[in-house]
Amino acid sequence: MRLARPLRPLAALLAVAWATGPLAAKTWTVGPAAPNGKLAAAVASAAPKDTIRVLQGTYAEGTVRINKPLTILGTGMPLIDGRGEGDVLEITASDVTIRGLRITGTKISNINDNAGIKVIAADRVQLTGNQLLRCFFAIHLSKARNPLIEGNTITGDPALPESQRANGVHLWQCTGASIINNTITDHRDGIYFEFVTDSHINGNTSLRNNRYGLHFMFSNRDSYAHNLFQHNGAGVAVMYSKEVDMRHNSFISNRGASAYGILFKEINDVTIDSNRFTDNTTAMLVDGCNRMEAKGNEFRSNGWAVRLFSNATACNFSANTFAGNTFDLATNGNPVYNTFNGNYWDRYQGYDLDRNGTGDVPFRPLSLFAMVNERMPYAVVLSRSLLTSLMDQAERLIPSMTPEGLADDKPLMRPPHGKSHL
Amino acid sequence: MARVIFENTGKQYGAMWALRGLHARFEPGETVSVIGPNGSGKTTLIKCLLGLVHPSTGSIQVNGQPVNGDPAYRHQVGHMPQISRFPNELKIGQLIDLMDDIRSSGMDRAQGPLVKELGVDAMMDKRLGTLSGGQRQKVSAVLAFRYAPTVLVLDEPTAGLDPLSAELLLAAVRDIKRSGCTVLITSHLMEEVEALADRVAYLQEGRLQFLLSPEEITGATGLQRLSKAIPALLTRNAKAHVESV
Amino acid sequence: MWKVYKYTLIDLARNKFVGGWLLLLLAITAGLFQLEDQPVKAMLSLSQVLLALVPLVSCIFAIVYLYDALEFTELLAVQPLHRSKILGGQLLALSTALALGALLGAGLPLLIFFPGGASLTLALACFMLTLVFTAIGALIAIKNREKARGVGLGLVIWFLFVLVYDAVLLWIMFAFSDYPIEPWIVPLAALDPIDLGRIMVLLKVDLAAMMGYSGAIYEKFFGNLRGILVAMAALAAWVAVPSAVAFKAFRKKDF
Repeated sequence: MRLARPLRPLAALLAVAWATGPLAAKTWTVGPAAPNGKLAAAVASAAPKDTIRVLQGTYAEGTVRINKPLTILGTGMPLIDGRGEGDVLEITASDVTIRGLRITGTKISNINDNAGIKVIAADRVQLTGNQLLRCFFAIHLSKARNPLIEGNTITGDPALPESQRANGVHLWQCTGASIINNTITDHRDGIYFEFVTDSHINGNTSLRNNRYGLHFMFSNRDSYAHNLFQHNGAGVAVMYSKEVDMRHNSFISNRGASAYGILFKEINDVTIDSNRFTDNTTAMLVDGCNRMEAKGNEFRSNGWAVRLFSNATACNFSANTFAGNTFDLATNGNPVYNTFNGNYWDRYQGYDLDRNGTGDVPFRPLSLFAMVNERMPYAVVLSRSLLTSLMDQAERLIPSMTPEGLADDKPLMRPPHGKSHL
Repeated sequence: MARVIFENTGKQYGAMWALRGLHARFEPGETVSVIGPNGSGKTTLIKCLLGLVHPSTGSIQVNGQPVNGDPAYRHQVGHMPQISRFPNELKIGQLIDLMDDIRSSGMDRAQGPLVKELGVDAMMDKRLGTLSGGQRQKVSAVLAFRYAPTVLVLDEPTAGLDPLSAELLLAAVRDIKRSGCTVLITSHLMEEVEALADRVAYLQEGRLQFLLSPEEITGATGLQRLSKAIPALLTRNAKAHVESV
Repeated sequence: MWKVYKYTLIDLARNKFVGGWLLLLLAITAGLFQLEDQPVKAMLSLSQVLLALVPLVSCIFAIVYLYDALEFTELLAVQPLHRSKILGGQLLALSTALALGALLGAGLPLLIFFPGGASLTLALACFMLTLVFTAIGALIAIKNREKARGVGLGLVIWFLFVLVYDAVLLWIMFAFSDYPIEPWIVPLAALDPIDLGRIMVLLKVDLAAMMGYSGAIYEKFFGNLRGILVAMAALAAWVAVPSAVAFKAFRKKDF
């Protein structure tokens, strides 16, 4: 063992090494009984590919830098406290695994992206089963390839204003990331991607983050499935990306003047399939998108189910359910290059004489009142009044102001999803 | 003290005076017949007395109490309106119960004047909506006599009643008068007026033309029948009026 | 008052129209929930029907009943009773009968078919609108001698509140869209009791859309329970004011 002199007795006492062969990886154990510096010391002592076991206890050592491929395993969720000095764990080597730690004590900063776990230019880092408490950034990766971030619980401080918060899981210029089954609450953005490609985001829960539950830009060929985004200040924003695949996600109760279940801006080649949108102010905003397939989604009890800007083209909506929304569709112009086909609309009053399951007359999802309301948002107080019903009925009988081509020619008589009380 | 006192009582509807400047005193045990052509102010006079209409001028006192004050004076008042309609779905018995309740009379349904005589006791379970006009009049009569009024107001009481019931009703009027009750009665039947009235009040265009006993009327005109004497008296008065102008 | 209340209620309990109203509401409510595949859609359709029908029926029935009871009211007025107690008993009995009709005919089945806050709010709105329009109907019946005129006026007032007022409101929005009228819209809507009932329901079923405003007054007003309480208070005022005017008119009324 080549240790610095002052650390020698400590290492002898606490760090027990098992040697199974001269070149084999060792396991070090770090316990709470001795003074500070234990984890850092163990990291310094360990050789690449060694494992460090961290026993239950508190390790307030400031920033710990991990610059070699190590596996650090917590037993009984030991607390690693960065003492507000900057980052807590800073990983600059590939093949590092961090599991079962509780991490807190980042420094809130306007200059540095201080994080509970920061990964810089490292490949195949695995961060699993950790808890990150009241961190500024919680998990922050840049220029990392093929990281795995799984089963972490990331909890911010609900009392802090947005200016003192940062993102829960933040990836910049990464590729091949897997972000699975994490829970992120009370951060600024729950999950933030910028220039992240070929990645999977599955089964995460992103709650009460005061900006976006999920926010990604310039991130191509990514898939998002089975995630829940609820009560986030602005919902989910997806911008300047292509080849995005989103399935079976739930976007729930994202309410406010500029809150969206999901906001698409300048997105191309998107599949959005079998997602659930409930109780959002605007469930889906489509701004400047091309080639979107939205199918099998449920839009229930939203203020606006779909707000489709006229700069969108080739966005196709089929087999979706629209029920209990204040407005099913709104637009700022004439979004003619998009189609609605074979959706269920609870406002549809047509009939199905040939019993083929689709209505015999087309449904026009854009109501006159929705158009009026675009001009004067405060007119919403008149919704569901006799006046606006009559207006809409008249407009449906003799369309004069709503775009002629915007119609679902084969509206479903029954929702593809069956009954729901939501 | 007089039982009923009208002091300059008047009622104006819009520009029209339905009743004006009425001064009259009605004594206990006296039956006064109020007559006059249609629209002469008979109904207005009665309604003012009952508190149904608020006089525009003057005042009315019943047993010394002002009519437009505490409604308690109406404990002393019985009224039989010309036309009665009652809640269709109530039974006669329930209506009588309600009135007993309001008056806190503690009476039994079948008790009281005219109940048996008019056969109302046999109809207690009949719904008011199913009654004929005559039957409704009987119920009205029963209610008017029920609480030993000291002032009884009857508006065309025998209209719609069968002759036998009409006789029973008139007999009841005589009875109650004997007990000291002041009776005001409007009628278009001169026989009724002759048979009952101690004094006759004649109204025309809202003014009291005269308030005289039948004897005084016949005496003044020398005509025996009131139906002849009254027009004669009126013509004479009118002439006197013209001459005095 | 309670004596008049009790016997008026006995009369109303056997009134065919009150029973018919209950059955009609039951039929509409059950029918919509049977017919509609989506319970939420049935609830929303029902809210539109109820918010129009409940005021209409309450108002017209109150007017017709009070006209038909005029001679009986006269009979009560010559009894040793204060007039306020007569009207109080009648108004309360009418409100009780109509409100029971609405709550049993629509409220209860709503809560069974579609349990939750939205149904509860709609039932509450129906209840309040029953009281409001019974009071308005009573006022009309007292102020107008002729039944046909009274019923006509009732229809006009209902039409005003259910449609015309909203049309005027929409026109104001268009006409003054260049001015900062946003803070005035909700207070203006509150001047129409049917709008108030509707907004109560909106606060439950369309809150997501309501929250889509930066206007401070909207956020304040639409703060969930608070908005419903404010609407309830405004509706209570809509019961109190016509009632007070009706009592005053009744006290001065010449039969």
